[in-house]
Amino acid sequence: MVAVKKTKKTHESINNRLALVMKSGKYTLGYKTVLRTLRSSKAKLIIISNNCPPLRKSEIEYYAMLAKVGVHHFNGNNVDLGTACGKYYRVSCLSIIDPGDSDIIKTLPGEQ
Amino acid sequence: MVKFLKPNKAVIVLQGRYAGRKAVIIRSFDEGTRDRPYGHCLVAGIAKYPKKVIRKDSAKKTAKKSRVKAFVKLVNYSHIMPTRYTLDVDLKDVVTLDTLQSRDKKVTAAKEVKARLEDRFKTGKNRWFFTKLRF
Repeated sequence: MVAVKKTKKTHESINNRLALVMKSGKYTLGYKTVLRTLRSSKAKLIIISNNCPPLRKSEIEYYAMLAKVGVHHFNGNNVDLGTACGKYYRVSCLSIIDPGDSDIIKTLPGEQ
Repeated sequence: MVKFLKPNKAVIVLQGRYAGRKAVIIRSFDEGTRDRPYGHCLVAGIAKYPKKVIRKDSAKKTAKKSRVKAFVKLVNYSHIMPTRYTLDVDLKDVVTLDTLQSRDKKVTAAKEVKARLEDRFKTGKNRWFFTKLRF
């Protein structure tokens, strides 16, 4: 039960790290570009919202397994993930190409 | 961060006439070419799968059931699904870019691919590759 419950504090820190990536790093939003970055091995981390359709979620996870890239399941739906990225639209999956100043790559895949 | 669309990777074609068929990447063009400005690859796949061979089949029936029909195609990366399987048959010398220029060159290349795939099927290796994907 401890593993399932994500504390509010770590959730906020993920949002902070994402905001830093949006400001200083390189990323792409959306399913098509996520697959494209995975194929070209440019992706460093994939974040998927919790209401992403299960077939699409498994497909992205399979590609990430082949590419040996970490996948983080965001604790929120696509509306929340869009807001966390600072956008006014829904984002179901995003790919971080270059984290910039953020340490999201180092801290997240360890806990996943 | 590992490139996985490499030669000898088994993939499943998702679109077109050969949708649902398994294929193997022979050559990949990540940056694309002038004619195809997108990532694509040259694949050789199975157009008609071999039938299930059972123990009580005679030698003649086994030979008939082990036949494979092959195809050669250039496919966009977004129209294939990569898998974790690989198939190492040496098809680099048979299938090249210029075999797709004319119809009879393509046919002879497909016949050679058919011969090599049938040999591989008869050895009993790579069993996943030669079973039809049910969907």
